[in-house]
Amino acid sequence: MASIAASASISLQARPRQLAIAARQVKSFSNGRRSSLSFNLRQLPTRLTVSCAAKPETVDKVCAVVRKQLSLKEADEITAATKFAALGADSLDTVEIVMGLEEEFGIEMAEEKAQSIATVEQAAALIEELLFEKAK
Amino acid sequence: MRIRVMSQLQRSLSIELPSLVPLQLPSRMETHLWFIRPDEVKSTSLLKHYSQLLSPTEKEKVLQMRGDELKKNALLARTLVRTTIARYQTNNEVDPKALMFKKNMYGKPEVDWQNYTNCNNPPLHFNISHTDSLIACGVTVHVPVGIDVEDKERKIKHDILAFAERFYSADEVKFLSTLPDPEVQRKEFIKLWTLKEAYVKALGKGFSAAPFNTFTIQSKVGTKGEYNLCKMTEMTASSLEETNKCDGEWKFSLLELDDSHYAAICIEDDEASGGAPMRVIVRKTIPFVEDELISESKLL
Repeated sequence: MASIAASASISLQARPRQLAIAARQVKSFSNGRRSSLSFNLRQLPTRLTVSCAAKPETVDKVCAVVRKQLSLKEADEITAATKFAALGADSLDTVEIVMGLEEEFGIEMAEEKAQSIATVEQAAALIEELLFEKAK
Repeated sequence: MRIRVMSQLQRSLSIELPSLVPLQLPSRMETHLWFIRPDEVKSTSLLKHYSQLLSPTEKEKVLQMRGDELKKNALLARTLVRTTIARYQTNNEVDPKALMFKKNMYGKPEVDWQNYTNCNNPPLHFNISHTDSLIACGVTVHVPVGIDVEDKERKIKHDILAFAERFYSADEVKFLSTLPDPEVQRKEFIKLWTLKEAYVKALGKGFSAAPFNTFTIQSKVGTKGEYNLCKMTEMTASSLEETNKCDGEWKFSLLELDDSHYAAICIEDDEASGGAPMRVIVRKTIPFVEDELISESKLL
């Protein structure tokens, strides 16, 4: 009897939303002997939704654009959670920041979305969404 | 003309602030424009009094601002709104601290009169705008108002025409590209920005209701308005056929404030005005301390 070592070990990480398991019939297995298992377990890539935090590199690039636009000093702290308004950005600044981000990432943001981003994190998330769409 | 409501002695002794001097309501088609220069408000005891007028939410927002200058400006903006509106209540004395505010369904702030059962409360509309060095508040009755102020010397970090092509309407881009001098182009760009912002803010429906590239603002041929203190030009808005979201006509006014800022005002046109231009009364103020009438002028 042939023993089939099915790779049945599936390591689950903390965040994955879905684990898809494919099942398919095994028609024959070496020398025509029947296998004791009629299907194989195969691990498909886990599917993650976009609600995860934006990549640190994206956040850093957004911070750099914002720093430049608002002429922030080195000492001025800016993180993912920072609100543009709290840094003194008005609507003209926000639009200029959007233009800076469009240039930096090679994307185009719809005006309504652009006017609605209020934090570094939101900008980064929108950018990643647009990059993802673009890559499709 | 200055009206000092606190004597020199009172101020130096930091005595309790006097009550606010009441104001005459704006008439129809008239806008009252109030502004503060933050660098003229230095007294820490005065600022402390101001902070006592704010609601807990407002205080929290002030504290979220990064750095003392931004905190101070945020405080002054709320103080300007509260004290100015409180002063227009000629029927009963209104405590600026007691005023409540709410947002319309698109997020535009407005006065919440629920606490006042007196039906004689005038239908006041207001809108504020601020820059680093100037905070302004426009007030009207019966008609919605939007204002925007910008420092005349504000530098745009991007190429002006590229910026305009991205955000402004085709006609506005055309207009800007006819200007040979880059400095003139920059100034006209800023003027257009304030006018467009004022319009969107007057509409009060958020930016998606009137994306900048869907409407054009241009100066009305044959109008003039050069005054000593505030230069004004009358503007009209024409929206493209596609956007039928605008209700009625809108009136514009563009002025220079204090030689340093452009201020654009947009109000909904009242048909009763018969096409007459907007009248703007500009006053510089330090709440509880003094008002200075800058101009009282009519547009042609």
